[in-house]
Amino acid sequence: MAQRSHSDRRELIREHAFSAAGLTAAIALVATIVLFFVQLFVTSRASRTAFGLSFLWRSEWNPVTEQFAALPMVVGTLATGFGALLISTPFALGIAIFLADYAGKKVAEPIKYLIGLLGGLPSVIFGLWGLFVLVPLVSKFEVWFGNLVGSEALVASGTTGVGLLAAILLLAIMILPFSSSLILESLLVVPAELKEGALALGATKWDTIQSIELPYVRKSTVGALVLSLGRALGETMAVTMVIGNGMKMPRTLFDPGNTLASAIANQFLEATSPLYVASLIELALILFVIAIIINIAARVILRRGVQQ
Amino acid sequence: MTRRTFKNNVMGLLVAASAGLLIAVLAVILWHIFISGIRYLNWDFFTKAPAPMGESGGGVFNAIVGTFLITFVAAAIGTPFGIFAGIYVSEHRGQRFADIVRLCADALQGVPSIVIGIFGYTFLVVRFRSYSALSASIALAFMFVPTTARVTEEVLNLVPSGLKEAAYALGARPSSVVWNVSIKTAASGITSGLMTSMARVAGETAPLLFTAFGSRYIEWNMLRPMSALPLQIYIYASSPYPALQQQAWSAAFVLVLLILLLQYGAKHLIARVLRVKA
Repeated sequence: MAQRSHSDRRELIREHAFSAAGLTAAIALVATIVLFFVQLFVTSRASRTAFGLSFLWRSEWNPVTEQFAALPMVVGTLATGFGALLISTPFALGIAIFLADYAGKKVAEPIKYLIGLLGGLPSVIFGLWGLFVLVPLVSKFEVWFGNLVGSEALVASGTTGVGLLAAILLLAIMILPFSSSLILESLLVVPAELKEGALALGATKWDTIQSIELPYVRKSTVGALVLSLGRALGETMAVTMVIGNGMKMPRTLFDPGNTLASAIANQFLEATSPLYVASLIELALILFVIAIIINIAARVILRRGVQQ
Repeated sequence: MTRRTFKNNVMGLLVAASAGLLIAVLAVILWHIFISGIRYLNWDFFTKAPAPMGESGGGVFNAIVGTFLITFVAAAIGTPFGIFAGIYVSEHRGQRFADIVRLCADALQGVPSIVIGIFGYTFLVVRFRSYSALSASIALAFMFVPTTARVTEEVLNLVPSGLKEAAYALGARPSSVVWNVSIKTAASGITSGLMTSMARVAGETAPLLFTAFGSRYIEWNMLRPMSALPLQIYIYASSPYPALQQQAWSAAFVLVLLILLLQYGAKHLIARVLRVKA
């Protein structure tokens, strides 16, 4: 009897320990987000007290005069993020549709594997390739384009190839595997009866895609694209290596610039004064808040898309 | 041919072309890494630390050691948190707090790596008053936990409820059902998830910039600055010396190989799970 209650108690303790461990890990996950925010908020204090909210819309970033403001980086982030999304979305849709409706299993499976491969390559690898292969090509294009429109200023401002355009092209490649596999996932849940119904009525394959499938996955596609945008906005190493670390407000796509992420990566180790460091941390804070909002919004859209 | 069938054919070609383009881009990138990477590979590259400034030769053994140490320690720290969080969300499916935890895991996966680097610097490096490989591992663990948690949850959700119900019917307690039934059934799925997560953090650079910092020496002490392959690639690629840029390509080749091996291992394991189920 004593034996039994002993083992009962041990089992009970194990039971409690087990659920405590689960709960602890779950709470730790939620607490991490709070911890990140608090940590970045507190350590960026010097910058917040010095510049206040005007940090967000003034455009001077000058370490020598200790004037710091985020607008050039915010513009750079949005320009590269949306630029990349704009370029890669048609291809992402095409790939997803091809895999969902055209390719047989024997073709689709290897391609899906390759998409995973491309998506799994580290950012710094894309950066390396971008710097030594893509940037020289962009440079050639810039010279050609500058001569074409006859703008010497354009030719002078960006013939090195590094700049916003190189970053946009590289980002477009990098988010392609991500957005196409997300879109593919939602295409695969379109009920077969809907498609078969349309086909039975004499619709061509493309008619079916256009009038049945795409409207069906509209919401989850938007969610997928928002999620990809979030990826592009926060992408660090590849962008850092090709964007040129320009501190001025970029005027054309050929100009060197910076995103929030690349400014931090390029300058944090050079930052000597406390205010400089705090300003870079505030950039990280802005990026963190943007990323959290975008990701949660995208997940909510995706979930609604699936429920519908 | 009517307009509709014409359009049908054109669009079919276009979607196939975009898939072809993706393969072409991937092929070009891998080709460059292979060709430029293999050219400067030699035995020294794998066994020696970087040569002193100004001397030729040397290798990236220090970075290979660093990548392994930093990644494994990050995985060791992150795995228990990730797995238990995954178990929690899976066991409390449909409950509000579990939904919040899942959402937080998703949101954390979207936190840019440079933000994690800055966090690691202000939270760990400033506190320890030194750059260290350990702070890099902890920073990477913050990326490791959410991915592991999500994979664990997804794999656990696939465990047939009949199996679990049978165990409950035999009088098993919840913890032993999770341990002895769910986790055992899902073990290879979880392992492959862990390998995928490791492949991901092994390639991260930005979280290491201000934590591991890099080192020119072969370093085994986790409390000291350490190099890693991605870090070395970044530093060499941004250097003006062609000899170092060449080493960047070779290091990239080694890193990609390492990640492919991890991913291949993960895929192999997934295939085994599916076979067991079928």
